[in-house]
Amino acid sequence: MQNFYWRWQFKTAPYRFIAPFFILFMVFVFLPFVFSIYLSFTNWHGEEVKTFVGLANYKTLLTNREFWQSLLNSIFIFLLYVPVMLLLALIFASCLSSSWMKWTGFFRTVFFIPNITSVVAISFVFLLIFNSTGILNQVLMNAGFIHEPIPFLETPWWARISVSLLVIFRWTGYNMILLLGGMQSISRSLYEAAEVDGASGIKSFWYITLPLMKRLLAFCTVLSTLGTFSLFTEPFILTKGGPNLSTTTPVVLIYKESFQNLNMGYASTISIFFFMVMMILSLLQLRLFLDND
Amino acid sequence: MNAMKRMSAAVLCTVLMLALVLSGCSGKSGDSKAAGDTAGGKTKITVWIWEDAKNVIDLNMPEFKKQYPNIDVDLHVLAQSDVYQNFLIAASSGDQLPDVVNLESLRLSQMIETGGLLDISDKVAPYKDKMNAYKWADATKDGKIYAMPWDSGPVVMFYRNDLFKQAGLPYKPEDVSAELKTWDDYMKFAKQLKEKTGVAMLAESKSQTDGVFFQQMLWQRDLWMFGKDGSVQLDNPEVIKTAQYFVDLVKNGYVYEVKPWSDAWYSSFQQNKEATIVGASWYEGLLPTLIDPDASGKWSVVPMPKWSADDKYSSAIDGGASLAINKNSKHPEEAWKFIEFMLGKEESQLKMMKEGGLFPSLETTYNDDAFKEKVPYFNDQPIRTLYIDAVKNVAPITYTKDYPLGNELITNAFAEVFLDNKSVESVFKKAADELRQKTGRK
Repeated sequence: MQNFYWRWQFKTAPYRFIAPFFILFMVFVFLPFVFSIYLSFTNWHGEEVKTFVGLANYKTLLTNREFWQSLLNSIFIFLLYVPVMLLLALIFASCLSSSWMKWTGFFRTVFFIPNITSVVAISFVFLLIFNSTGILNQVLMNAGFIHEPIPFLETPWWARISVSLLVIFRWTGYNMILLLGGMQSISRSLYEAAEVDGASGIKSFWYITLPLMKRLLAFCTVLSTLGTFSLFTEPFILTKGGPNLSTTTPVVLIYKESFQNLNMGYASTISIFFFMVMMILSLLQLRLFLDND
Repeated sequence: MNAMKRMSAAVLCTVLMLALVLSGCSGKSGDSKAAGDTAGGKTKITVWIWEDAKNVIDLNMPEFKKQYPNIDVDLHVLAQSDVYQNFLIAASSGDQLPDVVNLESLRLSQMIETGGLLDISDKVAPYKDKMNAYKWADATKDGKIYAMPWDSGPVVMFYRNDLFKQAGLPYKPEDVSAELKTWDDYMKFAKQLKEKTGVAMLAESKSQTDGVFFQQMLWQRDLWMFGKDGSVQLDNPEVIKTAQYFVDLVKNGYVYEVKPWSDAWYSSFQQNKEATIVGASWYEGLLPTLIDPDASGKWSVVPMPKWSADDKYSSAIDGGASLAINKNSKHPEEAWKFIEFMLGKEESQLKMMKEGGLFPSLETTYNDDAFKEKVPYFNDQPIRTLYIDAVKNVAPITYTKDYPLGNELITNAFAEVFLDNKSVESVFKKAADELRQKTGRK
């Protein structure tokens, strides 16, 4: 008897340990996901009856400019911030990993703080900074760089740049930590050998650090891709997706369709389609990884 | 034995886990059963409300408790957008909570559409003729009424008398209302103001307008984004003309460009950037407190300018709210007593106006002396009589359930006009087509 229980317990223990996750996952992720697949075939505005409309929502989605515009916006924002962010992260990381740097623990913390601060709070502070009479415009005008305030949130391209600046502020530290980890795993002896051969600091960065960091940089890029397409809080608070849809990301669009227009069915259609686009993109990127290896 | 114990402990843990998870999603209905039960003859009703509105309701709570000692009211404060989102969830899951929900006119039709509100046609019948007629339109679907009107936002024109005086314009309310009768006059005033003082006539945003200024003009002209038959009207030539007026105002340089309700918008008033607000009665409460607290005596009020002097209607509406009852509420009678006490009773409504600045939809209060009171901040002008004149001359427009979408398309249309230099006509035609496609309207 005892023996049976013991064996039963031994075999099932791992599953019971991971059960809480799967229960939560089922209730809060998987079932809602299945439900929204069903919703995407209906026309539902929150009333009791959901009208089944088949593929009509998908047809609307493919012919409507808004969705494509939102994907395009994400690509623009991605191109605006990813190169700058990775460059900054790389510079900071190599500073922090070099031997002459003092207080590295302190700086690591400082750079990481924006990432764990409430994004809503940060966005509101940036809203004040970017205001047409905000501190950034005041400083630039007093310094004589500009004469008219920059319309940071009022024109499409400036709005995208403002959102990008906010994202850079939030995520540079995170990427820096990732790159720092990578740099510290590069063997010291390579640098020592380079020094003996008479290579300068910049040269050894260019010929040793960078090539060995390639994979990690690619990994950071992949993470940023997913992050950019599902950007929500930053553009929503800064610009509400405007002006004229220029900072509307797919997730902002889903929010607007569901909670502003109460088009729950159509909103589900967007999210399902968006999910598929993201999945294909992720698979492609994973594939690239494998090939690079 | 030991193993048995351990096993039962594991099972217990799992059960507890499950219970936690499940209670997480059904917490609300569980609460309602416990709280909604009449304990010791007392009934508890829950009201979902946003902060400003709760502060005003609080003024009447002592009286309410005296009259209905057996009704406990839980005023549950939520952010405005959360009221709608949470109610949507409550409605679609048949939740008993809240009993009463506070809704803005502009989201009311949408919420009625969800089918979560109780038909209160019989209950409101005695108030049918006592409230502003336009308020019932948005509360009605298929001949049934789902909400009780609370307050109205009749539109007037607030202006800076000191800036008008500097520009050599008439500045006393009686002179201004005599000479600034139409929107053409408004344009002329704007021109002189700009030339003499450099001050803009109003503050608005080109690319992020909230659409209110333009929509008020439409409302006043008995035009709207939708026609009486439900068809889309954004490409109606008269609507396009009205939009063109706003565009001209901006292009002539009479508008100080700032996003309404942004930080820069608030500070622009202290910096004397603009001279008028064409806005609803509730600015009376906001100007002395939030917008321009140091300008006592500098603001005056006149009626809203008209499109042409012989137009039938002279004013418009912005905002206002209603209270409604949840269809699944266990205590609809008590909920109605609460609503009736707060909104149907003249003393309650008057108190909310005097101390909370909400202009009542209840017309039987309009004879009260409080409306003739002089308001110190506005140079001792008895401004509230203007609201009464305004609200009696308002076209019966309904926001409809597609208002939020229409509003967004209007914002985007103006952004396109100003950013891409397109013609008003082409942009509004495009917006109309998009609105038709998305709403299935004609």
